[in-house]
Amino acid sequence: MTLRQTAVNCPPLIIPCSRFTTESNKTGSWRFLRPRYENKTAPCSSACPAGEDIPRIEMLVAQGLFKEAWETVLMENPFPGVCGRVCYHPCEQVCNRREFDEPVAIRTVERFLADTATRNGLQPDIKRLNAKQQKIAIVGSGPSGLALAYFLARLGYESEIFEAMPEPGGVLRWGLPTYRLPVAILKADIARILELGVHIHCNKTITPRFLDEVTGHYDAVFLGCGHSHSLPLKIPGEDLDGVEDGLRFLQKLRQGKEVVLNGTAAVIGGGNTAIDVARSAARLGAKPLVIYRRRQQDMPAFDDEVTMALEEGAEIWELRTPVKIAAVEKDYVLTLQQMEVIGEDARGRARIRVQLNKTEEISVQHLFVAIGASSAEQWYKPPPKKSSTMRLSNCSILPRSQGPTVVFGGDLVADIKSVVHAIASGKQAAMALDNLFQNGFDAIRAGIEPNLVGDGPSLSMENYLGWPRTQSSRSVVHHEDLNTDYFRFAPRIIQPRLLREERLRSFAEIDLKIGTILGIREAERCFNCGICNQCDNCRLFCPEIAVVRDDTTQNRRINYDYCKGCGLCVVECPRSAMTLEEECLCNRY
Amino acid sequence: MRLDTVDQEYMYSGHVGCPGCGAAIAMRFFLKAIGKRTIMVIPACCWSVIAGPYPQSTLKIPVLHTAFETGGAVATGVRAALDIKGDSETTVVTWAGDGGTFDIGFQALSGAVERNENFLYVCYDNEAYMNTGVQRSSSTPYGAWTTTTPGQEWKRLRKKNIVEALCAHRIPYAATASIAFPEDLVQKAKKAKAMTGSRFIHIFSSCPTGWRMPSEMSVKIARMAVQTNIFPLYEVEEGLRYTINYTPKGYLVNEYFRLQGRFKHLTEGDLASIQEMVNEDWELLRRKAGEYSS
Repeated sequence: MTLRQTAVNCPPLIIPCSRFTTESNKTGSWRFLRPRYENKTAPCSSACPAGEDIPRIEMLVAQGLFKEAWETVLMENPFPGVCGRVCYHPCEQVCNRREFDEPVAIRTVERFLADTATRNGLQPDIKRLNAKQQKIAIVGSGPSGLALAYFLARLGYESEIFEAMPEPGGVLRWGLPTYRLPVAILKADIARILELGVHIHCNKTITPRFLDEVTGHYDAVFLGCGHSHSLPLKIPGEDLDGVEDGLRFLQKLRQGKEVVLNGTAAVIGGGNTAIDVARSAARLGAKPLVIYRRRQQDMPAFDDEVTMALEEGAEIWELRTPVKIAAVEKDYVLTLQQMEVIGEDARGRARIRVQLNKTEEISVQHLFVAIGASSAEQWYKPPPKKSSTMRLSNCSILPRSQGPTVVFGGDLVADIKSVVHAIASGKQAAMALDNLFQNGFDAIRAGIEPNLVGDGPSLSMENYLGWPRTQSSRSVVHHEDLNTDYFRFAPRIIQPRLLREERLRSFAEIDLKIGTILGIREAERCFNCGICNQCDNCRLFCPEIAVVRDDTTQNRRINYDYCKGCGLCVVECPRSAMTLEEECLCNRY
Repeated sequence: MRLDTVDQEYMYSGHVGCPGCGAAIAMRFFLKAIGKRTIMVIPACCWSVIAGPYPQSTLKIPVLHTAFETGGAVATGVRAALDIKGDSETTVVTWAGDGGTFDIGFQALSGAVERNENFLYVCYDNEAYMNTGVQRSSSTPYGAWTTTTPGQEWKRLRKKNIVEALCAHRIPYAATASIAFPEDLVQKAKKAKAMTGSRFIHIFSSCPTGWRMPSEMSVKIARMAVQTNIFPLYEVEEGLRYTINYTPKGYLVNEYFRLQGRFKHLTEGDLASIQEMVNEDWELLRRKAGEYSS
């Protein structure tokens, strides 16, 4: 043993000070457990279909690094402005803070970032890979097609979009009322995608011959043309003049047509389109009446939307289904069959049946049908399950012996039809096509799998590109993994909104902007599950002074010469960004 | 959690404390607050060993290792010598365990503070003679197993309230602190340093070895002692003016006891009577601090 002599700088004292330190005792040899820094996956990130690195976004916002936070969103999602408004935020349902007080308002923070970026005219630094030779045709400029174009551009591929309507955006442009999504916000998000060099051809309807026509020009065709064809009721009187299709009605409004309603407007259906139609009708002067065959709690529409529809004066008649429509003078007489609940299915939705001899009639002035939609053309549909089609979680890939590979995405294949699922579809298709072109069809699944966020099925483009997030473990942080002693109760932000009266006067956006202080305060509520936010607890409490500062990503490292493996740092880490594991004895000497 | 003094270290790695040692954490925080111009007197205790055998030392300040019962007396002498030399800047600190404070060193401590000697006495309390093999002290809490209160002969006497004993001497400053609350500990040490006369800080320092618990729970358990009112954080000026520094969340004592092997023999009934004792002590403390319950 060699004792390193250290000169201790003592003040002149009567009592001398020992001149040898204890640093020659390498107490690390006592260790049988080894702590290490390991970022993990937060439940919100895993639940986000776009796989956004939410704890990092919130951390950056809390630090005031808005541009970096915004770019972290853009890494996984090209639509922060849109998703910050209309996403159904599955992230917030699983937020670990839910078990502590209330979940973090993740969507509100995302919108805050998008608004801040727009207000300051920020330009994101989007890194792009070297240009590749393959070219992709994208049919439909809805969220899935645009997301695909965005991710392909970042991977170095050229793509062209074919859009039947005069402007891009798909359902975001034509199917959502402006009080939920102002058109300027959508245009800003789309403009950023087009700036990457994506070509778009509007007013270009494609025919089944398209696939043959483009052979040789494109290496793959992505069909993301969505569900624009409303399902029929299949009851007598459905074809009467003036019985309107909900989607067409919303589209008419988005095209700027003037519509005035009066009296009662009945809306048949329980999805988001039905609620959008009802709320739009309320703004146009009618009293909306939503007729749904199951119970209110079974409606596929998002709860928030239903609540606001009720606030705005809509009435919901549940457990009724129309059986006949008749025109009487200028009104419609709707015959409704009452239904009864006979149990629940696996998802908790009511199972219903007809209540015999229980019908009623109601006279309404306007009638809208919004019971769901399907693809406009048969050939848009992905082929039935057969061996040559590869079905991934958010897209299906059909290789063809002649002509370009066809990928079906967006609503055409989605179980849950939401904007963020469409984005997930575009991302997955981009990864699949990149693998297809670089490594062949059989390499697709293996090429995508390592990029799952947590338990999946969401995917991370940052991982795919091999950037720092790759180093995070896929294990998901649960509430019991946190040390909540370090967190204080803090109420969730209350989203400021227009008054009910103001809402009914126009189609102005309902949710108002929040200021910087509120945005930071909400982001500070985030536990930052699984990522080191430099709180320094590990260094502070180490009894061995074995956590030292350095210039690695954590800004600190463990000095294993002295770490006795007590594990204190791992328990005192509030956010489970450290792991304690058994020491491999072979490492020691 | 951030401390403005955190980057100053007055300890070296390589000390021989057990993994997860609360006393080592206590020393580290305390020295960050008290600084380099300090002479430390350490009577026999765990820290006599942790600091390292001659010629090694894990501390960057001068240390006198002294006999068990002499913490108060040696500090008195060191202070007198410094005063003769005209050194009023150096702080004299006695750093003793609970045995050297509550039991063996009590008369020297009592004598020194009665004379209001100008020094700072810190008791890091791990609630038994841990260094010699976990023998009970008058600081061992009600219900605890030690090697001298084994099996069903567990200690059925209450822990001595040392802060009250010091307050009876009407010293300028007496306070409790915990390794789980570093800001509070550092703030109290700085406050004590700035004062003159006899000052006393009682630091709750968990002992994974003697308390029969996993080393990684060391700070967590110290925090729980505060959260459950078993070890309230408060300070007393002139032996009279009480301030409670942390209002606990009202946790029940059960979980604190369940996590430690030294309490594993306790029944639900025992825990209920301990909860009553804790409540009673807490009410008493609140009354002293002028917080009357309705």
